[in-house]
Amino acid sequence: MNRALKQEHLLRLRTQIAAIERRPVLTDTGPVAERPVGLFATPAGFVQELYADEVRNGAALLGFALGLARPLLTRQRPALVFFQLGHESQETGLPYGPGLGALGFDPENLVLVRTTTLAELLWALEEAICCKAVAVAIADVGGSPKLLDFTISRRLSLRAQASGATVLQLRYGLLREASAAHLRWHLAPAPSAPMPFDPRAPGPPRYLASLEKGRLAGFGTRFIIDWTDHGFQHIEPERAGTDGRAALSQPLPAGLGHRLSQAG
Amino acid sequence: MQLVAVDAVAAQRGLFAGQSYSDAKALVPDVFAKAIDTAMLGARFADFCDWHSNASPLVACLGGEEGYGDLMADITGVAHLFGGEQAMLDRLTGRLRAMGFAVAGAIAGTVGSAWALSHFRPGTVLDSDPAPALADLPVAALRLEESQVWALMQMGLKRIGQVEGRDRKSLAARFGQGLVRRLDQAMGRAEETIVPRLPAVEHYAERRFAEPIGLIDDVLMCARDLAIQVGLRLTALEMGAQTFHLFLYRVDHKVMVLSVNAGRATRDAGHIARLFENRAERLSGEYDAGFGVDMIRLAASSVSPVSLSQIGAFEAADSATELTELYDRIASRLGPLAVTRSRFVNSHIPEKAVVLEPVLARKPDDPAAMPDPARPRPLRLLPRPEPIEVVAEVPDAPPLRMRWRGVGYRFTKASGPERIGREWWTPDFALVAEPAVPAAETAVSNRDEEEKPDDLPSVRTPIAARDYYIAEDEAGRRFWLFRAGLYEGSNLPRWYLHGLFA
Repeated sequence: MNRALKQEHLLRLRTQIAAIERRPVLTDTGPVAERPVGLFATPAGFVQELYADEVRNGAALLGFALGLARPLLTRQRPALVFFQLGHESQETGLPYGPGLGALGFDPENLVLVRTTTLAELLWALEEAICCKAVAVAIADVGGSPKLLDFTISRRLSLRAQASGATVLQLRYGLLREASAAHLRWHLAPAPSAPMPFDPRAPGPPRYLASLEKGRLAGFGTRFIIDWTDHGFQHIEPERAGTDGRAALSQPLPAGLGHRLSQAG
Repeated sequence: MQLVAVDAVAAQRGLFAGQSYSDAKALVPDVFAKAIDTAMLGARFADFCDWHSNASPLVACLGGEEGYGDLMADITGVAHLFGGEQAMLDRLTGRLRAMGFAVAGAIAGTVGSAWALSHFRPGTVLDSDPAPALADLPVAALRLEESQVWALMQMGLKRIGQVEGRDRKSLAARFGQGLVRRLDQAMGRAEETIVPRLPAVEHYAERRFAEPIGLIDDVLMCARDLAIQVGLRLTALEMGAQTFHLFLYRVDHKVMVLSVNAGRATRDAGHIARLFENRAERLSGEYDAGFGVDMIRLAASSVSPVSLSQIGAFEAADSATELTELYDRIASRLGPLAVTRSRFVNSHIPEKAVVLEPVLARKPDDPAAMPDPARPRPLRLLPRPEPIEVVAEVPDAPPLRMRWRGVGYRFTKASGPERIGREWWTPDFALVAEPAVPAAETAVSNRDEEEKPDDLPSVRTPIAARDYYIAEDEAGRRFWLFRAGLYEGSNLPRWYLHGLFA
């Protein structure tokens, strides 16, 4: 009797703790069909922190973030909002419209919000998360400002969970503060495989991503991934070093394909 | 130096406006004169003028050179609110007199006759033909130039009645066309319109308070109520508005105006009220209610038809509307330049190919300007290319090593070059090594831009072409760098870093 009561108490406490912590229990976040398709298809409504060691890795960080964001854009939620402090543009670089095409993004969908202070940025970020048409909000914040504390990240994570928008925080440095983010990634660029027919030219971008906090169902914690025309591609570690990679098949241009079929 | 205005004591001792200061000093040795501050007077008078729009929507300032002048209000269809024209005149002038101003006013059918009466027979309310009333007034009441008045006096034409009815052609020939025009305007034969300082609005709601209010929260609460009223009015007309102004009439004769813009025409009271709340957040320190606000008016402009829509039980959320409302909210608090999107411009030069434009002031896309997907472009572009030191094996070979922000990099792979030449077909085609920042860019981040001189003579020299390379270093970072100019003779071209690839 006493034992059964104890068990019941324990169970209740465990569920309470789980509810407070809002752990990313991926199997329980919703029906499978709603989950986006693709490698690293994280469910919507999470706050994810993406860390790079230095500001100079910022482009790789943004590339990876856009890769994470792409499966989350739907017809009901078409918008991607990028937040940056106005005076950090020169330091980290502005997202450049024509370059987004290589990552499969229509620059049409990217809106840049540039503020003068971090407080304004956080206000706008929260406002954007509450909007039902925003799929992903990317916040690019350099350094480790005091304002970005646990309270803020908890607030953001509650908002994100309530509305279903995803927040990707791009951070730089080695310092990790306490945060309520559901997932934390560490990202570094890796030497790319050479171009198939031009070994001296850089190939598709390659990242070394590791999951520092949270788990993704069915995945480990360290990945080597390439960004190809079809999205993220997982590269086995033993293959990563070798250069003798088969050429990626590219689609034939329509005109050429037509002529080939006539010739055959 | 001349006297511009004199007070009652000075007038008694024989001083008058227009007298030279030395004469005045000779007449009254203890005269106290102060230099006129035209800018301050002009601003105060403009405030004054705006404030009087609580009596009538059309108030104009017939200003003189001194910065102040005459206040002209079109009271068509307004006087009954004050209980008649005489009562309105008494109330408006009495209100100012109570504050210690010397006021003279009159009401008449034309701008010219009202001016004449208010200057020479104040307190008159004229609702008949102006000709008999004006006949006795001196010709100066016609708003003439000094020389014209002087010439008329010499001819013995001292009263308006003596001028009126004479041969117009000879009058025009002798005294100028101006005299005839002014005469016609006063008599109502020629049209004269006033240009109101505040734009006339058709759709507005207002509320007067018995006791002045001061707190911004009260003001915003009232704005919400007024937004509901305006919204209902617009709904009845099947209209929506894009611009909303909130006029706060302060007790001490000043008007504060808060304006917000919506991305698309709206009449949603909740949204309008949110925008004003955000706008008020932005002015935080500047808000000063003085001795209180005794009237608030919410006006809607830029009105366009918005059809009625049924709100269905199973309605799917319209993402476009939600997004516009989000951008409105952010822009109302952070300013319209904070929310931008990239618009492509038909240009090869990377920093010219994209401009950041406010989402709310969106222009249609130029299909010819769409970027060519075959050309690799970086994910992040540095608004200003940064000078770097580069070592290349031979001239025109891809770079081997570079030094950027004090750190050395060794490249393992590189591709290029992509040569981008000057655009000789555009009027301003000179390609410079270090470009200016795009226009929208400067406006947003002018804080750090302003300190830097834009025209550095050494780097803004025109060059033939830029050769862009993509280079990857040992760690896998990819850079977009360019060589400004070619290797010619002994001068070495400079290198710049312009972007970072994913």
